[in-house]
Amino acid sequence: MKEQDAVVYVIDDDALIRDGIQSLIRSIGLQAVALGSAAEFMQAKRIDAPSCLVLDVRMPGQSGLELQRQLNSAGIYIPIIFITGHADIPMTVQAMKDGAVEFLTKPVRSQELLDAVQKAIERDREQRKERAELNAIRRRFKSLTPRETEVLNLVVAGLLNKQIADQLGTSEVTVKTHRARVMEKTGADSLAHLVRMTEKLRTSLQK
Amino acid sequence: MELARTSRRKLSAILRYGSAVGFVAAALCLSLALRASFGNPAWFFFPAAVIATTWIGGRVAGGVAVLLSTLAVQYYFIPPVGFRINEHDLPYFLVFIVCEVLANWIISWRKEAEDAIREARDLLEVRVAERTAELKDANEALRNQMEEQRRTQEALQLARSELARVVRITTIGETTASIAHEVNQPLAAVVANADACVAWLSLNEPNLAEARAAADRAVQGATRASEVIARIRSMINKKPPERAPIQLNPVIEETCILAASQAEKNSVAIFTELDPNLPCVTADRIQLQQVLLNLVINGIDAMAGVTDRPRELRIRTRVQDSHDVLVSVEDTGIGVNAESMSRLFEPFFTTRAQGVGMGLPISRSIIEAHGGRLWAESILGRGSIFQFVLQSSEAGQG
Repeated sequence: MKEQDAVVYVIDDDALIRDGIQSLIRSIGLQAVALGSAAEFMQAKRIDAPSCLVLDVRMPGQSGLELQRQLNSAGIYIPIIFITGHADIPMTVQAMKDGAVEFLTKPVRSQELLDAVQKAIERDREQRKERAELNAIRRRFKSLTPRETEVLNLVVAGLLNKQIADQLGTSEVTVKTHRARVMEKTGADSLAHLVRMTEKLRTSLQK
Repeated sequence: MELARTSRRKLSAILRYGSAVGFVAAALCLSLALRASFGNPAWFFFPAAVIATTWIGGRVAGGVAVLLSTLAVQYYFIPPVGFRINEHDLPYFLVFIVCEVLANWIISWRKEAEDAIREARDLLEVRVAERTAELKDANEALRNQMEEQRRTQEALQLARSELARVVRITTIGETTASIAHEVNQPLAAVVANADACVAWLSLNEPNLAEARAAADRAVQGATRASEVIARIRSMINKKPPERAPIQLNPVIEETCILAASQAEKNSVAIFTELDPNLPCVTADRIQLQQVLLNLVINGIDAMAGVTDRPRELRIRTRVQDSHDVLVSVEDTGIGVNAESMSRLFEPFFTTRAQGVGMGLPISRSIIEAHGGRLWAESILGRGSIFQFVLQSSEAGQG
């Protein structure tokens, strides 16, 4: 089961609550790490696996919402499930805008929490896959020579080999060779695949 | 005004000089008529005419009368008849003239003095009337001012009681938020751990160690929740050193004073029947005051909609079972139905639109913290009676 690899971090200053939630999560076969504060989480060694946070909003020191902001600005993308004793609408809206998966009020219903945890881990798994894919594409595209990159851009723009040769001032044969190298280096099995990869890279750069 | 005065003056001139002529003529006629039988009465009648004229017409008219009577006497009564005079009658005539002039002068002097007094008196009366009017105006202004002050006072009283109410509600509102959090937190722990316990037990191969650990934590959470509640209780009775033997009757009288304006506004009459031999109770005076005030205000409010019977609030104290003190607050209000009665002491239960529903629960917990009991009885449509019992100080020591 892949689920075994996933890790849930439970952060609550109340030991009884975080131990209870951690126990509940472990009972369905997930790994769970209980932590007493936001600072502890930042210091803890994070396991490289699909994971999510179950985070108390109201904590002494750094609040849950502040930790969320800190993680976002540090570029650490990890889905967060907030739990709170008293949720007001502006707080909830802000947390959801900042990418929270769920906002639950204490006492938390176990089924709701577990569903939210599953959803969050699923989301993280997809995001990790996406990120890994993107990294791979980026790595492969980085191995292209400047000339090959030029050819790539024109190919993706929909130009024919002959037009590319005209534009670059080379022969059609040379373009063909470059094009074959590009296909090989990027691992694209068709022109459509190449275009898709390029688009993905571009949108990620725009972000 | 001026016109009236001139016409009066003209009239009085005619009257004055007319009277001079009239009186002298009358004196002449009488003297002539009575000369035969009474010797010479002219010596009496003419001075009388001068005196009368001077009295009525003043000095000048008197002078005219003197002149006329002198002429008449000289003509008719000093021999010989006519405007001639015998030598030996001259002194009599001169004495007569002097007497007349003197009479005129004395009478006019007296008359003037009297007039001056009258005038002064009239002037005084006018002054008094003026002053009285001024005083009346001042009185009126003062009364208006007092009325205004009374109204201001009422508005102030209203604002003050409104403020007290808002403060009370805000305070309670603030505490409920923190109470809610304090209680909710351990309850959340209980729920999470109980859920975990069930989950561990529901596995195909139940994990008893994990289930036991979770159950343990659930127990800890529940214990903590009860501790929180105990702490809130103790917060309500947070001044144990304030407890001292106190007389309840003066506290009740003070409460009546505090509630007086509220009662007045709602047309409620408060009666007290206080046992003068009531023993002391050991209690926090402020807290008991709060309880009494709460019961009294509740009673007054309960009568707000009553129109078919007198709105009366009766506060009684008496000794019960020889060592307990019983206090009862009875109203003739709308009463409490059976369903509400069972929830009367629940927090946040209220039948009033603006009520918070904390008064009775807090009152009961205060009385219970003092080792007493607070309860209610009610007949729908007739009224309610709230009573509490406290041990007397002597019984507490014994």
